[in-house]
Amino acid sequence: MEFLSYLSPMFFTLIAAGALIGVIFGAIPGMTATMAVAVCLPLTYALDLTNGLALLLGLYVGGISGGMVPAVLLNIPGTPSSITTTFDGYPMAKKGEGERALKISIVASLFGGLFSAGVLFYFAPVLADFAIKFSYVEKFLIIFLALTVIASLTKNMLMGIFSGVLGVWLSLIGTYEITDGGNGETRLMFDFMEYYLVAGFSLLPVLIGIFGITTILQDAEKGFKGDAASPTIKLTKGSRFSFSVFKGQLVNLVRSSSIGTFVGMLPGVGGSAASVLAYTQEKNFSRDSSQMGNGAPQGLVASESSNNALTGGALVPLLSLGIPGDSTTAILIGAFTLQGIQVGPLFIGDNLDTWYIMIAALVIANFLMFGIMFFAIKYIAKVIEVPKHLLYPIIVMMCVVGAYAINYGIMFDVWTLLIFGVFGYIATKVGLELVPLIIGFILGSSAEVYFVKSLESYGNLTIFFTKSPIAVFLWCLIVLSLAFSIFLKVRARKKESFASYS
Amino acid sequence: MENQFLSLFEVSIAFEESHLFFPRIVSWVLVGLLAIILLSKSKKVAPALRRAGQAVMHGSDGFDRKRFFGTILLIVIYFYMMAVVGDVFPNTGYGFLFVSIPFIFLLALLYVDEKTKKNVLVIALTSVVAPALAWYVLSELFRITLP
Amino acid sequence: MKLMTTPLRKLVCAVAIAGTAGVSMTSHAQEDCPVPGNLRVVIGSTSTGGDTYQNSSIVADHLAKKLDINAKVDAVGAMAGFRALDRSRNGNTVMIFHDQAYLGNLYGVKGYDNIFEKYTVGPTVAINPGNAYLVPKDSPYQNIDEVIAAAGEGEEIRVAIQPGGVSEIGFSALKNAVKLKHPGMEKNVVAVNTGSQADKNQLLFDDMADVINGSVQANEQYTRLPEDDQKAMRFVWLTARNDTIKQTNEEGMGKTTREDLLQYVNPNVTVPQSESQNFTFDKEFFFLYNKDMDPKLVSCIDNALEEIYAQGDIQEQQKKSFFIPNFKPSSEAQAYLKDKRDQYATIIENIQ
Repeated sequence: MEFLSYLSPMFFTLIAAGALIGVIFGAIPGMTATMAVAVCLPLTYALDLTNGLALLLGLYVGGISGGMVPAVLLNIPGTPSSITTTFDGYPMAKKGEGERALKISIVASLFGGLFSAGVLFYFAPVLADFAIKFSYVEKFLIIFLALTVIASLTKNMLMGIFSGVLGVWLSLIGTYEITDGGNGETRLMFDFMEYYLVAGFSLLPVLIGIFGITTILQDAEKGFKGDAASPTIKLTKGSRFSFSVFKGQLVNLVRSSSIGTFVGMLPGVGGSAASVLAYTQEKNFSRDSSQMGNGAPQGLVASESSNNALTGGALVPLLSLGIPGDSTTAILIGAFTLQGIQVGPLFIGDNLDTWYIMIAALVIANFLMFGIMFFAIKYIAKVIEVPKHLLYPIIVMMCVVGAYAINYGIMFDVWTLLIFGVFGYIATKVGLELVPLIIGFILGSSAEVYFVKSLESYGNLTIFFTKSPIAVFLWCLIVLSLAFSIFLKVRARKKESFASYS
Repeated sequence: MENQFLSLFEVSIAFEESHLFFPRIVSWVLVGLLAIILLSKSKKVAPALRRAGQAVMHGSDGFDRKRFFGTILLIVIYFYMMAVVGDVFPNTGYGFLFVSIPFIFLLALLYVDEKTKKNVLVIALTSVVAPALAWYVLSELFRITLP
Repeated sequence: MKLMTTPLRKLVCAVAIAGTAGVSMTSHAQEDCPVPGNLRVVIGSTSTGGDTYQNSSIVADHLAKKLDINAKVDAVGAMAGFRALDRSRNGNTVMIFHDQAYLGNLYGVKGYDNIFEKYTVGPTVAINPGNAYLVPKDSPYQNIDEVIAAAGEGEEIRVAIQPGGVSEIGFSALKNAVKLKHPGMEKNVVAVNTGSQADKNQLLFDDMADVINGSVQANEQYTRLPEDDQKAMRFVWLTARNDTIKQTNEEGMGKTTREDLLQYVNPNVTVPQSESQNFTFDKEFFFLYNKDMDPKLVSCIDNALEEIYAQGDIQEQQKKSFFIPNFKPSSEAQAYLKDKRDQYATIIENIQ
């Protein structure tokens, strides 16, 4: 237990500072955990390894957690993985239960974070060996599974699927990147667009354009009269938070956290798939999911526990294979190298102290994040009491900052905001569904890479069924998930017609 | 027999053309779905288009043309000017700072329902403080690149 | 809340002070050195955890201290980097990139122009000596000679690489070597095009590749795994020059010492490039400027770097992060890189 001597007051202070800054970054639409870690990385040059890690892990956990704030209060996901938080969080906020929704999310986040830290600590090497059984084929199937769950999130099946496919299509615009093993050629555009579209549309500007700018345009159309004029939402109107909400949620918590941890472990699959999978699994398999989408705590629990579980999950391949599980952990590699520490399959054995410190920092960061958020929530939630004529211009400004900064200063990303804001506005008018569209967009490009690479390697479509037992298992899940969503749709329709009949 | 069956599913992708393989599939699926949608809803399309046209042209259906198009126009000017001013003061973030102030002021003025003295004062104050704060914290403290 | 931000603010201040305290030893007059007060350094990689970013930030920090300016590294990626450079006539933006900049052009990757015509090539600053090729630990091939021989005997050798650049050049050289020794058999060396290091490793684990491109930094620990581990690998070839590896710290990387590393480079491992010459490849980082940038600024950065390298701190820092310091002023770097480019162009033409 020699590592305990490293845990100085500075260590705790830095984790707290990291968590706080992370939460703020996560809470600003368009700013992400990755960005928080990236901008603070230079600060760690001046620190030793222990304290540097403390700061970075605090930022990581805080940044992932902070995404829930705008998701719940403004219906704008602060990070891609908090999309599903908006489904139930915003309806609750509209009912005046913003504070309650946030508190539920925070508790779920804490659970997810600690769960995944535990998994990381006890099973990292074993899981890493399991993770490398996922080759192109299995990774494609995981993404495909996440895409099929779109079906259960749609209001109108046909339009929903169309929107999802459109999302995938939009994500393919641009270059087939050589960094993904592509051939560097552009597609789905005319030559004159190439100057701007060579890198395609970036995810984050698309996301905040579609959620942020679209909402603003919709309210502008209504002219801020009546409902839109003043914030009719009162914070204390609805029921208050109590821990009894979590009664009967244990299965959901564990399931969602497991999904989050596992998806986090697979490099290249993308964290957003985790919360989408967790949310729809809860919808399909829980005893009563009828309220999900209208402000049900169980939806928040599924979404937030899974996206915080990503943290521990993404560290599994980093620490036991030397491969980052997501974009944030990719920056951590840089931090390690700067300190002269090498990551790889022998990292844990070679650096036991550092390993314990990281686990300790991760656990502490989760608790401190919880502490900061839980008590600051009362003040943070006041955001929705700000009149919209002040709030909206500031949101546009912050979206600009986020969009411009995400790729370190590209003006086209700012224009993407407007393009997709207007697109989202028109899309809702013609009945397209934005959530399937954005999920399709998020998963589209990795779906392409793994699909094409599978075929390039094996040259036969049957490989998707015969590659491994894991592939067969994933197909079972895909079939089950499709069957369930159809079953739920039919049941819902029956109920509806029954209700209108009586 | 089995081999013949397997060969039915054989696919070979030339690397030079591999960038088109997946987009083609997706495009065709998209076109197919679009066709189904248009066929199944063909009767609703024309009237819906007419209604939308009327809303935009004449401001019916409670469509607030001034605020809606004003928003878009302001955003376009905002983005454009930001880059222009940013080029005058390269790598300082001043483009963002100087253009955000009038943008927030004008957009808030466009949105506010009653232009009372108090409201305008609050707006003016916000439009200076918010960008300045954002610029100082992000550009100066965290050294995030801004236009 | 205030309480928590205070240490951080202190930290920020400390860093800021450290940044400005190292005021330049020689004060540059504005006329001699029209360097912008806020310099933006774009890099050809989008990763802030990778070698390009790390090396560039080391160089940018030293440069900022020396010239008493602000310098900020932005990981915008190759395409966006070139564009930012195109727009910046006054030298507010400079780029740091590596051999990919011209290799992309040689391999005909879209968006890569001839950097020697379109831009001003600036000084080189460092080498990443880690470019490596690996096989599974239980592979039948003991060394690169056996790989070449096997290909010559008609066996298919699948090499996992990222197409169109630094990762491919070693593969092209290998193919070229097979052609030299066993004409007509080079078709047996096949590229398996993939993306990240994770994907390359995965191909090896899945037995979908016989040889992969990797790096000393990322793969060294895999070479220390026991043979019965599915993940175990073995180095067969480092493309760096012998002299380059000789300059690494004696400890090398992880538990692989400099002595060990030297086994895998020329002349212990030979990949013939022509009748008289063996192939080597060092991944070198260098500056790129806008063509219209003030020549005074070019020489100003040259001079500043020269002083920085004369001081010696930067070398230590680079070596600690497994970079080899490698300063060549602009004019020297231009001639050197052009020659390097021409050599590789011949190889690529040869195997087409």
